[in-house]
Amino acid sequence: MFKKILIANRGEIARRVLFTCREMGIETVAIYSEVDRKAIHVVEADEAVCLGEAEPSQSYLNIDKIMDAAKSTGAEAIHPGYGFLAENSEFAGRCQQEGIIFIGPPAGVIRDLGDKITARNIMLKGGVPVIPGMTQAEPDPKAIALEAEKIGYPVLIKASAGGGGKGIRVVRTAEEIEDSCMAASREALSAFGDGTIYLEKFFDKAKHIEFQILADQFGNAIHVLERECSIQRRHQKIIEETPSPAVDDDLREQMGNAAVAAAKASGYVNAGTVEFLLDEQKNFYFLEVNTRLQVEHPITEMITGIDLVRQQLKIASGEELEIRQEQVKGRGHAIECRVYAEDPENNFYPSPGKIIHMEEPSGPGVRNDCGVYSGFEVPMDYDPIISKLITHAEDRDQNIQRMIKSLKNYILLGVKTPIPFLIDVLQSEAFGKGEVFTDFIDTHFSSWKPEFGDADLARIAYIVDEMNASRRKAETGTVTNLVPSPFSTLGNWRLTK
Amino acid sequence: MEYKIIVQEETKPVEIELQDEFSLKAAIDETTYDVKYSLVSDRQICLSVDGKSVNAYVADLPEGKSVIINGIAYLVQDADLLAQSQVKKSSDSGMPEEITPVTPSVVVTVLVKEGDSVEKGQGVIVLSAMKMETTLNAPFSGTVTAIKVSEGDKVAPGEILVDIEKAESDEESEEVN
Repeated sequence: MFKKILIANRGEIARRVLFTCREMGIETVAIYSEVDRKAIHVVEADEAVCLGEAEPSQSYLNIDKIMDAAKSTGAEAIHPGYGFLAENSEFAGRCQQEGIIFIGPPAGVIRDLGDKITARNIMLKGGVPVIPGMTQAEPDPKAIALEAEKIGYPVLIKASAGGGGKGIRVVRTAEEIEDSCMAASREALSAFGDGTIYLEKFFDKAKHIEFQILADQFGNAIHVLERECSIQRRHQKIIEETPSPAVDDDLREQMGNAAVAAAKASGYVNAGTVEFLLDEQKNFYFLEVNTRLQVEHPITEMITGIDLVRQQLKIASGEELEIRQEQVKGRGHAIECRVYAEDPENNFYPSPGKIIHMEEPSGPGVRNDCGVYSGFEVPMDYDPIISKLITHAEDRDQNIQRMIKSLKNYILLGVKTPIPFLIDVLQSEAFGKGEVFTDFIDTHFSSWKPEFGDADLARIAYIVDEMNASRRKAETGTVTNLVPSPFSTLGNWRLTK
Repeated sequence: MEYKIIVQEETKPVEIELQDEFSLKAAIDETTYDVKYSLVSDRQICLSVDGKSVNAYVADLPEGKSVIINGIAYLVQDADLLAQSQVKKSSDSGMPEEITPVTPSVVVTVLVKEGDSVEKGQGVIVLSAMKMETTLNAPFSGTVTAIKVSEGDKVAPGEILVDIEKAESDEESEEVN
């Protein structure tokens, strides 16, 4: 097992990895940029190296600086977290060159699976069901139009080089397809430097179901059950749950086997996630592989009791996977809500700022993976994530109540959060019934506005606070009313013999 | 004592009658509430309103106070205090005067041209950050005198993106009622 690991990330995920390293007695090295000097991952690590300015290219994305930090501190391995360099095959390759273990899959696997078209072809060969669509890049919009006729509208134009909602267009009629191809290609070129596009069938009402996989360096691969991530805003996940209300034991076995087949077909090592789309007829199709630990991994940990970061470290250090597929069993139900510094009244635009005061919810089955603290200034330079709130309970209904209760008890003063929105989604009838598809927010919450039902109580609280603020100031602040003592009026003085 | 308290742009009079220490009556609209409270910490007040407990968490902001009750954050302001601070500086308290992003963003669309008249609240420019889009609005009515950016530009907080000259007649309509 490693003696020292460098964590090439920040915020809550850096802290998450730190927790497991500390439990295992592994020394930790944190890296940070100027604005993160007092960030929690920095103050909790054994060593910390400042990389420079806040701009990601100068810090968390700067491969040279990170490699230098690893070498100068003697770190044997690097955990990349998620985002930043986690799926950067060049970074993984550099680690390999410099003799530092990259905690994740080999660089070649990251590269192959990072190209959507290559990934589709690997899966086809591996016998994994793939969304009907093209398996090679096609620059000619007319050829794409022909394919679209064959597949049947609606179709989805996607960028081969990246995701995150860029270079994606839904096309419903033959008239729109050529223009949409050009628009998507332009957007992809601008976002990823590569305008290559391809085509897939589009499902309006689909569920996003993903499977956690673990594979060791000896060819053993297992899945660790599914996660449903259908609640998304602009292709960004907001709420994730497991088990999925749509997946019964048979389907779980079929999809799980497909996930393991995907892992083996791509030569996967370490932790990863195989994403599928489930259509209304319960057919499932491969979407992509995320070659990293996912944001929503905690819900899998809650129902299985497995520490996924620990498994990552064991696999990376050359150990054989000890968990057998038949041992993987889920118990109860888990939900995760992502809490970001976003303004729900302003289209959820990032709203960084100082967390004046925060109090985390607690109680049975409540876990908060948090990267901030009271007084911390959430920097504007990165994703404004505050924490991931996770709850676990015996069944889904109970768990929904547990999550709502926890959200109401989560106090974050000074930054705007989507907590009121999350509460309303969880309380909705559709969510309660598990009628959740990727168009959930557009269908039920597209013009959501928060309700201020306790406005009069807020008024009373304001007044009570104001009345007592004056009293607080008098007790601790300016001492104009007090009789000055000789010591406070003495001025500078010194003892002489 | 009478207060005028604003929540979500709605001002209501609140009549307070102090009773014993940590106890008062509050009259809002047609209702009078029996309020007992305890100051749990600098941030937390446990209110007992007509016998029912509710916890309120409060923090001071430049534009008023943030009060969190049952997971919802309210921006609460004292209308009288607001009027006083408006006398000192002749601008809308709490509202940004300038068209500038709150976080590094990319310009998606400029909605106005130089020379256009704009109304207070009218959309002026669309920005995108962290894959979200937002529209910045004119803080007052006036005329667009300069557009300093183009579509695709990267912009940072503090940079003024669009200059708007305030219309003269708008200064009179800035009283708080």
